[in-house]
Amino acid sequence: MAGTALVLEGLTKRYGTLAPAVDALSLTVQPGEFIGLLGPSGCGKTTTLRMIGGLIEASGGRVLVDGRDVTALPPHRRDMGIVFQNYALFPHMDVAGNVAFGLEMRGMKRGEIAAKVEAALDLVRLGHLAKRRPKELSGGQQQRVALARALVIEPSVLLLDEPLSNLDAKLREEMRAEIQDIQRRLGITTIFVTHDQAEALAMCDRIAVMAQGRIAQLGTPHDIYEHPASEFVADFVGRSNRIAGHAADGRLNIGDLTIDAPAPVAPGPVTVMIRPHRIAFTAGGAGWNEVRGSVRRVTYVGDVLACEVTAGGAVFLVEQPTQPGVPPPEAGAEVCIAWRVADTLVFPRETA
Amino acid sequence: MRLPGLLLGPALLVNLAIFIAPMANLAALSFHEARPSGGVGPGPTLATWASIAEDEYYVELVTGSIGVALGVTVLTLLAGYPLALFIHRAAPRWRNLLMVACISPLLVSAVVRTYGWMVILGDTGLVAAMLRFLGMAKPPRMVFNLTGVVIALVEILMPTMILCLLAGFGRLNASLEEAAASLGAPRWRVFTRVVLPLSLPGVLLGCLLAFVLTVSSFITPKLLGGGRVILLATEIYDQAIVTLNWPVAAALSVLSLAVFGLALLLYGRLLRVVEA
Repeated sequence: MAGTALVLEGLTKRYGTLAPAVDALSLTVQPGEFIGLLGPSGCGKTTTLRMIGGLIEASGGRVLVDGRDVTALPPHRRDMGIVFQNYALFPHMDVAGNVAFGLEMRGMKRGEIAAKVEAALDLVRLGHLAKRRPKELSGGQQQRVALARALVIEPSVLLLDEPLSNLDAKLREEMRAEIQDIQRRLGITTIFVTHDQAEALAMCDRIAVMAQGRIAQLGTPHDIYEHPASEFVADFVGRSNRIAGHAADGRLNIGDLTIDAPAPVAPGPVTVMIRPHRIAFTAGGAGWNEVRGSVRRVTYVGDVLACEVTAGGAVFLVEQPTQPGVPPPEAGAEVCIAWRVADTLVFPRETA
Repeated sequence: MRLPGLLLGPALLVNLAIFIAPMANLAALSFHEARPSGGVGPGPTLATWASIAEDEYYVELVTGSIGVALGVTVLTLLAGYPLALFIHRAAPRWRNLLMVACISPLLVSAVVRTYGWMVILGDTGLVAAMLRFLGMAKPPRMVFNLTGVVIALVEILMPTMILCLLAGFGRLNASLEEAAASLGAPRWRVFTRVVLPLSLPGVLLGCLLAFVLTVSSFITPKLLGGGRVILLATEIYDQAIVTLNWPVAAALSVLSLAVFGLALLLYGRLLRVVEA
């Protein structure tokens, strides 16, 4: 199956006179690409997905599938497979009936339908449950049926609306890998909506982090994590120490500490952000920021050691894998912590 | 007997005294014969039942009543379904208001509503005037015949039907319809393949109640039928109060009870099919 290119051009959704739920959003998805729409609730990610699928009408802008404008088409003529958050399996049909539905709507012959349904159920490893009703299946199995039902029609685009949020943690990781495998194998262009940053980082080729109806940053998981474009992105994706500071003379002042910035910064109030696991108990060196402080609290969870270190009036959360033979520091101990200058994220303070 | 069983006692006693016993009494009465003078003869005898079975009038009465009830049921369903679906889909803040508006006719007794329909459907009433205004020289007669009875019964039963439908729409939800649409189903197929099948439990319940209430309806066919529309309940009334033939009235009562029983049986069967 050759992937399909999906282009969103200035897609907008307005409800009454409120601020637009989706605000002139543009995005070009490569054929076969797995793109995540990531953001907090209310950021417009689901609204965007629903506009792509034709479930709600766009107030403005266009949706192009392989260059063809589908903005005015009703959902049943868009040829998109949608997996809903609650799966939306038809309770009055068995698993095979659910999967066959889309093929029946396409007027396919019975024999052909049976073969395709079987193949689709094998793809999600549910061939043996074809005669079950949805309510007799576990959450993970229902999820797989929903996926098979969306894929069997060989849609041009696959839309996943928070498909994993109703599963428990262990199952979620299994399904993550499974969805990713199937997507790669079929090479189907996929839009994946989620509020879970770990899910987005783990699964997507590229992530569009959304806030207030716009894309705050578009990039690979690596880009988004290592080079967040704004304080919002840095805060939403991964965890960060978030410390108020002040830029002056090309350096950063935090309380009575002074550290180096990775790039020239304009003088003024700034927010300094450092990932907790990038801070180590070590004396730095060239290219490192180093501060001395005292341990305020120690949380030891076996594989990870989390320490709160106060230094210069700020609190730094430090997370390190535990080392064999090295006992955790005690509260009150004087320590030296350091991190690479390159891991220091600096954003001009968003003034209220 | 343990305490929970004992607690059922009072309800059982009351039911036995005011429901089961009179029913048994009624059934027993049907195995007597009416004396020409109006009294009840000694029993037991099958004479009354035999006369009913042999008399074409009663056979037609029963089949006719069932036919009218089926017709009214279907019309009530057709009128109530779109409304119920609309209310089900309305935004939550409107839904309650719409439901109250829909059910409010239940606050007015069937007698008053029937008189209302007599005024509206009468020869000089609103509907006839409207039809004349629209150019119909001689509007059809709509009171004191079956037409009027059916129209009034449908209206009177609609709130009940809508309540049943809404209660049965629990499995319907918007995302199922969206899923069907995304899989390529145009709107009418979304309806026939998803909405309608999922609403069948409500449809069955509404139809059962509408059917039973029509078969047992008395006021409306009595007043709007003008003596020409004779259904089971009106005939029972006539036999018991006018002709003073209590055994026949009792036998007809038992017959209508049997009709209800059959309807209930059918309902149970069908429900198992649609909910499977």
